[in-house]
Amino acid sequence: MSERPVVDRLTCVLCPVGCELEVGKDAAGEIQVQGNQCDKGLPFAVEEVLHPKRNLATSVPLGGTAARMVSVRLTRTVPREMLFPILKEIAKLRPEAPVRRGQVLIPDVLGTGADVIATRSVA
Amino acid sequence: MDGTQGSIYDVVVIGGGVVGCAVLRELSRYDLKLLLLEREADLAEGISKGNSGVIHAGFNAPAGSLKARTNVAGLALMYPLAEELGVPHRKTGKLVVALADEDRPRLEELKAEGDRSGVPGLEIVGESEIRRLEPLARGRWALHSPHTGIISPYELTIALAECAWQNGAEVRLEAPVEAIAYGAGLFRLETPRGVFSARRVVNSAGLFSDEVARLAGIDDYRIFPYRGEYLITDKDCGLRLGMPVYPVPSRDDPGLGIHITPTLEGNIILGPSAEPVEDKRDAASTREVMARLKAEAARLMPELGRTSFIHSYTGLRPKLIDPRGKDKFGDFVIEESAVRPGWINLAGIESPGLTAAPAIAGMVAEMIGAGLDLRKRPDFVPERPRRVRFAAAGDAERAARVVQDADWGEMVCRCEHVTRAEVAAALRNPFGARTMDAVKRRTRCGMGRCQGGFCTPRIVEILQDEGVPVDRITKRGGGSRLFYGRLKG
Amino acid sequence: MMAERIETCDVAVIGGGPAGLAAALGARRAGAGSVVLIERDRTLGGILNQCIHDGFGLFLYKETISGPEYAERLIEDVARESIKVEAGAMVLDLAPDRLLRVNARQGYRLIRAGAVVLAMGCRERTREMIEIPGTRPAGIFTAGSAQNLVNLQNLRIGHEAVILGSGDIGLIMARRLAFEGVAVKGVFEILPWASGLERNVRQCLMDFAIPLELGSTVVEIRGRDRVESVVVAKVDGALAPVAGTERAIPCDTLLLSVGLIPENELSKRAGIELSPLTGGAVVDETLMTSVEGVFSCGNVLHIHDVADRASFEGFAAGKRAARFAAGERAAARTVRVSAGSNVRYALPQLLTAGKAGVEWSFRVTRPMRSVSIEIKGRTSGRIYARKKFPRLLPSELQKLKVSEAIEEDIEVAGHE
Repeated sequence: MSERPVVDRLTCVLCPVGCELEVGKDAAGEIQVQGNQCDKGLPFAVEEVLHPKRNLATSVPLGGTAARMVSVRLTRTVPREMLFPILKEIAKLRPEAPVRRGQVLIPDVLGTGADVIATRSVA
Repeated sequence: MDGTQGSIYDVVVIGGGVVGCAVLRELSRYDLKLLLLEREADLAEGISKGNSGVIHAGFNAPAGSLKARTNVAGLALMYPLAEELGVPHRKTGKLVVALADEDRPRLEELKAEGDRSGVPGLEIVGESEIRRLEPLARGRWALHSPHTGIISPYELTIALAECAWQNGAEVRLEAPVEAIAYGAGLFRLETPRGVFSARRVVNSAGLFSDEVARLAGIDDYRIFPYRGEYLITDKDCGLRLGMPVYPVPSRDDPGLGIHITPTLEGNIILGPSAEPVEDKRDAASTREVMARLKAEAARLMPELGRTSFIHSYTGLRPKLIDPRGKDKFGDFVIEESAVRPGWINLAGIESPGLTAAPAIAGMVAEMIGAGLDLRKRPDFVPERPRRVRFAAAGDAERAARVVQDADWGEMVCRCEHVTRAEVAAALRNPFGARTMDAVKRRTRCGMGRCQGGFCTPRIVEILQDEGVPVDRITKRGGGSRLFYGRLKG
Repeated sequence: MMAERIETCDVAVIGGGPAGLAAALGARRAGAGSVVLIERDRTLGGILNQCIHDGFGLFLYKETISGPEYAERLIEDVARESIKVEAGAMVLDLAPDRLLRVNARQGYRLIRAGAVVLAMGCRERTREMIEIPGTRPAGIFTAGSAQNLVNLQNLRIGHEAVILGSGDIGLIMARRLAFEGVAVKGVFEILPWASGLERNVRQCLMDFAIPLELGSTVVEIRGRDRVESVVVAKVDGALAPVAGTERAIPCDTLLLSVGLIPENELSKRAGIELSPLTGGAVVDETLMTSVEGVFSCGNVLHIHDVADRASFEGFAAGKRAARFAAGERAAARTVRVSAGSNVRYALPQLLTAGKAGVEWSFRVTRPMRSVSIEIKGRTSGRIYARKKFPRLLPSELQKLKVSEAIEEDIEVAGHE
């Protein structure tokens, strides 16, 4: 993962305005945010810089065949540093058909509160 | 599995290009045990797929040369041959245009040369006739050659080999000859696929014919690769070219000049250039030449300056002309070796090799017949069934085929409308060619505007269904694999 | 030459992706008797089936879900209506009289439709079309093709990749490859700005320390059998490579994400007028093309960045197709719409004179700030609609509605 830059620029995605935020660290190590036109921009930027959260999507082979896949994702975002550990857990999966869309394949993966669910139905 | 080790063949042909396959087919008329060895994973992987696909009339080479004589003789044989083998082709005619009056004498020289060689029907025409013959051509004067035509050179190559095969000849792919020994009247050819013995050998190895000859102790030739680059337009570019249009050839050009050639499908090919290169395998396209192709082609047809291209390719000509030397003309070498009787060399077979192929094959048969007893096979079948193309069929035929076999109903190539039945048939070819390019050349999958974007995943599935493991799926054999196993599991 | 009998239907929808699924539903819900949905793949869903990442459904379902989930919901809706689904069937030809030639394993047939909705989607720009010099080894994939092979067939397409083009597909694939342990050595973009969403630049590249180089392109591909390296270089203002800036990057895979092109081969066969600005059909406010009774929607009409919008277009086109099939005919489309300064295209390009409340879709030609988009009468100079945007990117498909009736030719233009 990349080293946290001292100044980060990002566009807020919470509403269609899309404020361009600038995030910096002051001398005391405090996070300063500029450019937000409402309150929600502040925690969004702070979280993105300090504790970025991400979702992930991948696919796993069905049991018994390496060529038929079922796609999966998480039900909510997780701390970014958990992505690769979660991928390792997912790589162990070999669900057997049939699989239903939304079926939980790993509940509360690695204690993150996110479930790994199938995103398509396979007969 | 073809090519039984330890068997003694009457003739082994080295090289599965159009000339090698023409020789094989010609020899398969006779009661001979025949084998063709090809280094690559399919036939026509060399210059036979990297050319303009023109059936030349024969006025480009000096009268009396082997190039001219085999071209003119080959022209007479080519159209009936293409019919017999069911290979699509068309006698389009051709124009060599002079954009300025001062170039007319050069046209007259070409015509005179052609007349001397016995090329039929050549005539010099003026502007209005040029327009009538080819509305998109520009020029003050032109040499019109009514018997020139177009053909798919790799389809012809494959058809020749299939005909030879159905008449008992064997073909072994991925079998480069790596060592040769001679003794007791037999040539012993070592390949990674086995050792084969032959009474006679025809060296038709194109770019590598000099190296193969050297393996046999013959050091008479040196092949210099000259690369030609090509661009192909989209069929839908809105430009319909009826016949090849060439510029007046410059005396110094190692090729015939950058020209424009229609394909049977309706594309227009620009090219080729002609540059000597160091490496026989350097098939790269370059920025400079692609720009030059467009500029020169636009002189012949201004509309080409604004059109879209779907593909570029190159061909490496096996020339006998040293680029550092002064000779500009090198003739074909078609001869039995003096040091190694029974070994026939075909060297420097560049343009007009495609057209000359049937004639060269006849010459080789004569040379073979001087030493071996040639008895005609009574059951020789000269025809090869024409490849069925769903896209070209009418409604009734299409409906019938799908009823007969549902694989005709499953579309694989969206751009060229190729069905699963055609892909499966291509993969079941008698030579065991099972690369992506082998499918492409036999079916046209991947030759459309998406260049394989849609059909590649489909063909990958079909290859696996037909028994090719994922790691053995290649573009054209060797190290050209597409995948490195599965991601998971 | 004709097959024995010609089947008929009220509305035929060609393509079962986000637009086509919606069009079939839109047609049926608008009262069309027989609706046939023809999809060439084995299953419905189109490109959604391989877009396993989330980001779909924000507008249609008010939540973000993955492509396959989005597709399945629409497919379930389709199954609930009496829509005849033909998967594994491909339309080979469309004639101006709305006769379709359809091929499938179950048979080859002719269908005459009361109305047709084109929803065939798009294809990807290829290496050959952008004329990258060099060799032709294995290991060159368009991003969408690679996405299919990775997500649907579980195939490892290489070990070290370079990606050309910073469109969303390229960015998404960068992340996908990184997830699967393929080293992505860099993403190169010829323009001075990234084509895809900034969010994707963050989450697909920055998160994985994958460098993004703007103003650069691949100038040569090297490798005999398999890609061995690519040469990248900086480009100048005219997007031409700058001599002396070349450097070779060892890799075995090159992914191309250099643009999507509406796939209108059938439209051309039917003689439908296409716009060189969009690559898709010229349509009026009802999404009808220049051929009567043939409508167009989704990526085959113009490239969308959000699947939901393709679906909305589909619903609208399906509804109109149903009405046409029922006998409704529009008045003449005499108003012409053109794209003015800073606007790459505006759609629809035609309008029935006197129509009010029409909404235009448009894209700008370059990133702009504090931009005012105006719809102006070309004769009168009157401003029919104006909207200010703090920021506009070429990658965003935006809309502008005109509430009143328009009788003269208009132009959509942008000014900073």
